[in-house]
Formats: sequence, structure tokens, C-alpha cells
Amino acid sequence: MKWAAVKPYLQVAKNTWNNALTYRINVLLWRFRMVLQLLATYFLWLAVIPANKTVLGYSQSAMLTYVLASAVISAIVFSSLVGAVGEEINKGDLSNYLLKPVNYFAYWLARDAGDKAMNICFAVVEITLIILILRPPVFLQANLLYVFLSIVSVVMAILLYFLMNFLLGLIGFWSSEVWAPRFIFFTIYAFFSGGIFPLDILPKPFFIFFQILPFPYLLYFPIKLYLGQLSILEIILGFLASGIWLFLLFKFLQWGWQKGLKQYTAQGR
Amino acid sequence: MKAISVSHLSKSYSVYKKEPGILGTFKSLVSRKYETVEAVKDISFEIEEGELIGFIGPNGAGKTTTLKCLSGLLYPTSGEVKVLGYTPFERKTKFLNNISLIMGQKNQLWWDLPAMDSFLLNKEMYQISEKQFNEVIEELSKLLEVKDFLLTPVKKLSLGQRMKMELIAALIHNPKVLFLDEPTIGLDVVMQKNLRDFIREYNRKYKATIILTSHYMGDVEELCKRVIVINHGKILFDGLLSNLVKKFASYKRVSIVLEDAINPRILEGVGEIEKYFFPELILQIKKEEANKILSKIIKEVPIADIRIEDPDVEDIIRDVFTSEKIKI
Repeated sequence: MKWAAVKPYLQVAKNTWNNALTYRINVLLWRFRMVLQLLATYFLWLAVIPANKTVLGYSQSAMLTYVLASAVISAIVFSSLVGAVGEEINKGDLSNYLLKPVNYFAYWLARDAGDKAMNICFAVVEITLIILILRPPVFLQANLLYVFLSIVSVVMAILLYFLMNFLLGLIGFWSSEVWAPRFIFFTIYAFFSGGIFPLDILPKPFFIFFQILPFPYLLYFPIKLYLGQLSILEIILGFLASGIWLFLLFKFLQWGWQKGLKQYTAQGR
Repeated sequence: MKAISVSHLSKSYSVYKKEPGILGTFKSLVSRKYETVEAVKDISFEIEEGELIGFIGPNGAGKTTTLKCLSGLLYPTSGEVKVLGYTPFERKTKFLNNISLIMGQKNQLWWDLPAMDSFLLNKEMYQISEKQFNEVIEELSKLLEVKDFLLTPVKKLSLGQRMKMELIAALIHNPKVLFLDEPTIGLDVVMQKNLRDFIREYNRKYKATIILTSHYMGDVEELCKRVIVINHGKILFDGLLSNLVKKFASYKRVSIVLEDAINPRILEGVGEIEKYFFPELILQIKKEEANKILSKIIKEVPIADIRIEDPDVEDIIRDVFTSEKIKI
């Protein structure tokens, strides 16, 4: 890709970063909420699992690492501005992008990059503080292969979440009620991604069923990779499943976008 | 070369109706009435490169829908549209690099950031050189008198200032074809004039093809030789503005300064009295009988001064829209 083709998207990311900074209090309060949530889960598991026992297959150290890792990876994967797409379509603001030689998907990826950069900065500072103050028994993965695989799966998770969110936004082409489906989606992924607790403590049939869904690959899968608790078969199947979901969602998005554009009325005037 | 050609373009939307209030909301949940609105019906026209055209019609006539089809936002229900040889809806980069649609009530600027940040973004998107970018910003911000506000967050700007910034953002890439939808909305008279001068100059300097819609007939009268009149999605007139006057003006305006007061009754049957406030008298007389009536007036009315003119374009247009008798 040529440099000139990438430059506009860098500018988009930069503008997004600056835009977020104009609402400093907002950003701080949002992060404060995340820290509170994190601490609540953290102390819950600290109380449930005694220091040298294993509960539901997790040692205290593994569970606390899961909780902290889930905070970091959530900050990376779930921080996304794409939720605004539906509204932009509804209000007709989409027109601004259609009139320019710009790829609307790449535009939103760039906006997310700016937003994620900001969230990651905060998350890293927060987690470092928590580790320094609480001194939890964090598990550090020494096998670099696991760390690498985990990073790859996070990148795939970012794209998966992006596609799902974008697809929900496309509803805006057909209906002005873009909020209700999104709300349900929030609830679903918070649970099914393993953000509340690791999914493998669930009864086996449920757990197996959930793995067919795209949601575990948003959070649960990357963390388990980092912890090194998956067999080779599980790792291969996991990557395969998230790869297939990526492909399917991408095709579906392309199809829906083309259909939607023919419906588009460029409202707002 | 034809810059724009439109043949048999139609565009219809399906819109759903909702009664007001909570009850209406519930009703619309259960059964929704959809209605097809034909915004544009089978219109055709061609525009040469470098032409500056006025597009006139009342609210909801289909002007904006046509502009949206021309700029590639809407997928035409039927018919063919070509702009600079491209099909707008395909949105090829080369097409997008050469057009701009400016809507007086739409905004592309980032609300929380200074306008300059949005300009820089456009600079990268259209891949404009540093030199050209600086020149354009310098020229436009000076002309529109917003140089001091380039670094002020957009949300802190006044409506007029924001409109000007929008205009700059839309012109950074020096488009060959401009669609201006109500560009002077929200501007004061001085700025309206500046903007008109600018549009004329832009048209002349770059041989740009421009379609302009406006509620202010002043904009159209001053800028456009050719006008397209549209109502209910159909073209009523396409031709020179002067011909529009000739064709649709059914009467002449006669302004008289009287020497003595008269009884307006003696003018009954002669024409319509638009205004009588001694010593001023304004009459509207039928064009076909103008000569006959005028000689009668001169005989019967004590005249100090008389002037005969065509009615204002604005009045003619209003007549065209209000009377359904005119069909093409």
C-alpha cells in the first residue's frame, strides 16, 4: 500500500485521539468505572479461591491473572466507536463520507485505532498501579509462543468485534431503531465472551455450544492462550473458528453494505 | 463536452407514516403504513462544461433529491445519470475527486475540533499538496473573513462562521463540478454578496460546472443565465432566465406617479391595482392588451410619471408554482 493512501487514516486516528481529549473528565470517569468493575471481580475471586487451593480448575493465581488480563484485553477489544454507524446512517451523516474518496470501513478502523490507543494507555497505567499496590500473585507467561499466539488472537478479536458492531450499525439503512439490538448485543457479549467469568467453569455441554459462537474468541480465547491452558487441538480449533467467523461476517457485511446503499435516502434535509 | 447528462431519472422513496403521540407509536409497531413518495419523476437535462445553472423550485420539489442522485448518494430508481462521464453511484475515486456537494444545512466538520483539523483530514483524503492546500486555505479564509477562527473549535463558532468553514472544507480539493444546495442560507447580506461574487469567480477561473439551488431568487438572478424550474418532481421549464420571464410573465407592471388623486373605480376592468397610495399607483395589466390599456390610462388619468416593466422574477416563479395551469 502506498504511503499517501494510508495518510488520511492516520489523520483520522489523530483527530479521534484529540477529540477524546476534549472530553477529559468523560474519559477519566469512564476509566474510573472500569477500575471499580475490575476491583469488584478481583476481590470476589480473591475471597472465593483460597491461596493454595484450586476451585473449578483454577488456582487463585490463574483466576486473578484471568481477571486482570480480561481487563486489559477488554480495553483493547471492546473500546470501539463503531456503535455510531447506525446513527450516522439514520441522520444522513454518512453522506459526508460517501462524497469523498475514502473507504468508510477503513475510516472506522482508523477511528477505533485512535480510540483504542487512548484506552490502552489508561488500562496499562491502571493495571500497573493495581499490581504495584495489591501485589496479586500474577502469572507471567514465560513461553513466548503462547504470548505471540495470544497477541494474534487479540488482533482477530478486534476485527471480529469490529465486524459484529458494524453489522449492527447497518440496521440503520432499514430502520431508525438501531439502539435496541445493540443493547441486547452488549448484554450477550459481556457474558458469552467470558468477561464475567471463564467460560470453562460452565457445564461441559454449554461450554461446547458456546465455542461455536463467535463471542468466546473476543476475550476468553486470547486469555486462555496467554495462560497456556489450551491443548494444541483446542488452539487449532479456536483459530479455525475465529477465522471462519471473520470470513463469514466480512462477507455478510459487504453484502449488507451494498444492499443498504441502494436503500440509503441521505436523510436529514 | 457535456459535463452532466440526466435522462429519464426517477427516484422514489418508501416512507412510513406515524401518527403523533404514544398511541401512534404503538400503532406503528403493530402495523406500519408505507407510502411511496416519488420525489423525482422522469426528468432529463444536459449541462455543458463550465455552465452555471440555477435550479429552482419550492420546498419538496425534488431539487435536493436530484442533486443527491448527481453526486452519487442515491441510487436512482430508474433512468441514467452521467457526471464527467462517470456513473455517480459507482463512486469512483476519480469522480469523487472532482465533485463537491455543499448543503447549507449539513456539516462535515468535526464538532469538537478546530476547523483546521477537518481541513487537514480532507487534505490527506484528496491527496492535496502542501502548497495547494496552503494557497486555498489562505485565499478562502481571507475572502470569507474567517482567518482568525481557523483554530477555534467548531462548536464555538457562530452559524455564519460555521457555514463558511463548511464551504472551505468542500472546496479544498478544487472540484470541477459543484452542487450547491442553498449555499447562502444563514449568511448576512454582505456575506451573501461576497459568496455570490466568489461563486461567479470560481466558475470563471476554473471553468467549473455549477448547479445552484436557492430560495433567494437574488442568488439565481445574479449568477445564472440558464435556469431549470422543477415542481412536484417534474421539470416545468429549462432555458434562459430571460425566456422564463417572457414565457411566464402574463402581465406588465405599470408604476404611475399621479398629479391628482383619482377615484380608483375608473380603473375597474383595466387591470389589477397592486398598490394605490397617492401619489403612487401600481397597476398590473394583461400583457396581450398592454398597448390598448396603456393608451386608455394615459387619456383618463393625470400622470406625472409612468414606468412600464416586467414583474419581478420572484413573482413570476411564485405564479408558476401556485397556478397549475402551466404544463409543458
